[in-house]
Amino acid sequence: MLAYFVEAFRVLLANRTRSILTVIGLVVGVATIVSVQVAAQGMAGAVSGIFKGTNANTFFIFPKSTQGNSVRAALKLSDLALVQQSVPGVASVIPFTPRQSIVDAGHQRVRLRFGGESDKRFSTAPLAAGRTLDSEDVARAAPVCVISDNALTRLFPNAASPDSVIGTSIYVGSRRYVIVGVLGKTKIDTAALGLDISNDVAIPWTTFYNNYQRGSSFFGISVLADQGADLKTMENRTQALLTQTHGAQYQYFDFGFFAQTINGFFAIVGLIVGAVGAISLVVAGIGIMNIMLVSVTERTREIGIRKAIGARRSQVLLQFFIESLLLSAFGCITGMLLGVGLGAIVDRGFIARISGVTGSIPWLEAIVIAVGFATIVTLVFGTYPAYRAARLDPIEALRYE
Amino acid sequence: MNDRPNVVIDVAGLTKTYASGELQVQALRGLTFSIDRGEYVAIMGPSGSGKSTLMNVLGCLDRATTGTYKLDGIDVSQLDDNQLAEIRLKKLGFVFQGFNLLARTDALRNVTLPLFYAGMPAKERERRALERLTEVGIGERARHKPTELSGGEQQRVAIARALVNDPAVLLADEPTGNLDSKTSSEILALFDRLSAGGRTIIVVTHDEGVAKRSRRILRMLDGVIMSDAPAGAPV
Repeated sequence: MLAYFVEAFRVLLANRTRSILTVIGLVVGVATIVSVQVAAQGMAGAVSGIFKGTNANTFFIFPKSTQGNSVRAALKLSDLALVQQSVPGVASVIPFTPRQSIVDAGHQRVRLRFGGESDKRFSTAPLAAGRTLDSEDVARAAPVCVISDNALTRLFPNAASPDSVIGTSIYVGSRRYVIVGVLGKTKIDTAALGLDISNDVAIPWTTFYNNYQRGSSFFGISVLADQGADLKTMENRTQALLTQTHGAQYQYFDFGFFAQTINGFFAIVGLIVGAVGAISLVVAGIGIMNIMLVSVTERTREIGIRKAIGARRSQVLLQFFIESLLLSAFGCITGMLLGVGLGAIVDRGFIARISGVTGSIPWLEAIVIAVGFATIVTLVFGTYPAYRAARLDPIEALRYE
Repeated sequence: MNDRPNVVIDVAGLTKTYASGELQVQALRGLTFSIDRGEYVAIMGPSGSGKSTLMNVLGCLDRATTGTYKLDGIDVSQLDDNQLAEIRLKKLGFVFQGFNLLARTDALRNVTLPLFYAGMPAKERERRALERLTEVGIGERARHKPTELSGGEQQRVAIARALVNDPAVLLADEPTGNLDSKTSSEILALFDRLSAGGRTIIVVTHDEGVAKRSRRILRMLDGVIMSDAPAGAPV
């Protein structure tokens, strides 16, 4: 059996130009599919990484906009305490107040995300200077703030260090807040991806409530869960609790939905590219079949010689079949390596640069794809030419010029 | 068979009919003859006489329509394609007018080909092939490809390939047809030597000069044997 591989290898090597041209289609097809697979894997890793970077254990709940009685559904201060007491696993509950405000510091005037937070940290950014908001700030509704890395660079472009702005003041409208803390960069640049909904300027939520709350109801509430708490259960419980209390409909949202949506998008992209790749593989397979048929015709005389010498049908069949197999195996393996390389370049050079997460290379999937396609292409497109070769009449074949 | 242990080819009532469209062409019309081991026989005849058809049947490349053909004691008339391939592999060696060597494949590997199909290990194949190449006087050119060899050298390689499986019969179809006279006589001298060594040789030719080198000449015309006489006998 090994002798047949050696023989087939020699034949292919003797016709190396033709062999290489034959497998190019296959190389491209497999490379496409594998590289998309690798990049998609990287993307999936990046997406889950991004949401690990933000507060994956936060969820938001707000009245459904479609219901009739929005007054009854409105969330109030009393609901915060209710959720805090009745839903297990809650670390902190605060009003959800997404808002952008003009912030002044010295001569700088910048539009930034501005909102209330509790002493439990909603942002995962590391602390670069000063301190975070504490329970006393919240209790006193103190006029203090913690600013993000983004706010620091934009409000204080000339700041020597994060420490140098501690104790200075910023203004939101006419109100003054003293900076008590500065956050550093998040590991992942979520702002660049448009995924950041944490505040650039965070003040105690009580301060925010006192200064900016109009009327007694808020847009929604955000809940920070204890580490390891089951978000799904808490979301359902909170929803049920509020529905029961208000007799109204609520909906919730967390980053998991986001991740799902994004992953779903990449899955579809992967599917489409995969389908295109599969079509290209069919075309490549037909190319291989074509070349093998040409090869059978071109080598009619050779086949005649082999048969005259005493080669059985099965031996001729096997020889041509193994030539097809070697061609497609070579094409698929080359395509796989190329695809992994290309995918890794996309992943490392592009996805990882944004997400800070380097996806692991899915070797198993790549190998499965390559071996799978080599097998299918050989079986589907290698059998017929081999059969044609084996069926040749030796007398006719020897007469062929 | 035991009554004629020396017979290697035994043909009785052999016919071959080709259906060419509505036309039935009778290429062989009932041949009966036998050839003994060690004989050197020439089959002669003009084109269309049926000598090529006979060659194909004797070479187990084709089956007779009726009649029996026993090769080395085996009735090959009723064998299927695979069994015929096996017979060709083990009992027959072919030498063609056009040499029919595999291009892009060196002499040694051309000669090992029958042994490859016989399933012999590579080392043994090469050892035997080299032995045969040396025997036909071309051992030192073993690693040359057909394109790098002269016609005479190519035919020597073909002869080595035909002999490598130690066949019962060596079949040669116009072995000197593509060669100049000097090379032709060298190849014929090789045949003489092989014959002297005990090989059974059948040469199909229309060249009297080639036929004369044999010991016995079968002359064919219109699918029948016109004469079967020792070489040198008056035509």
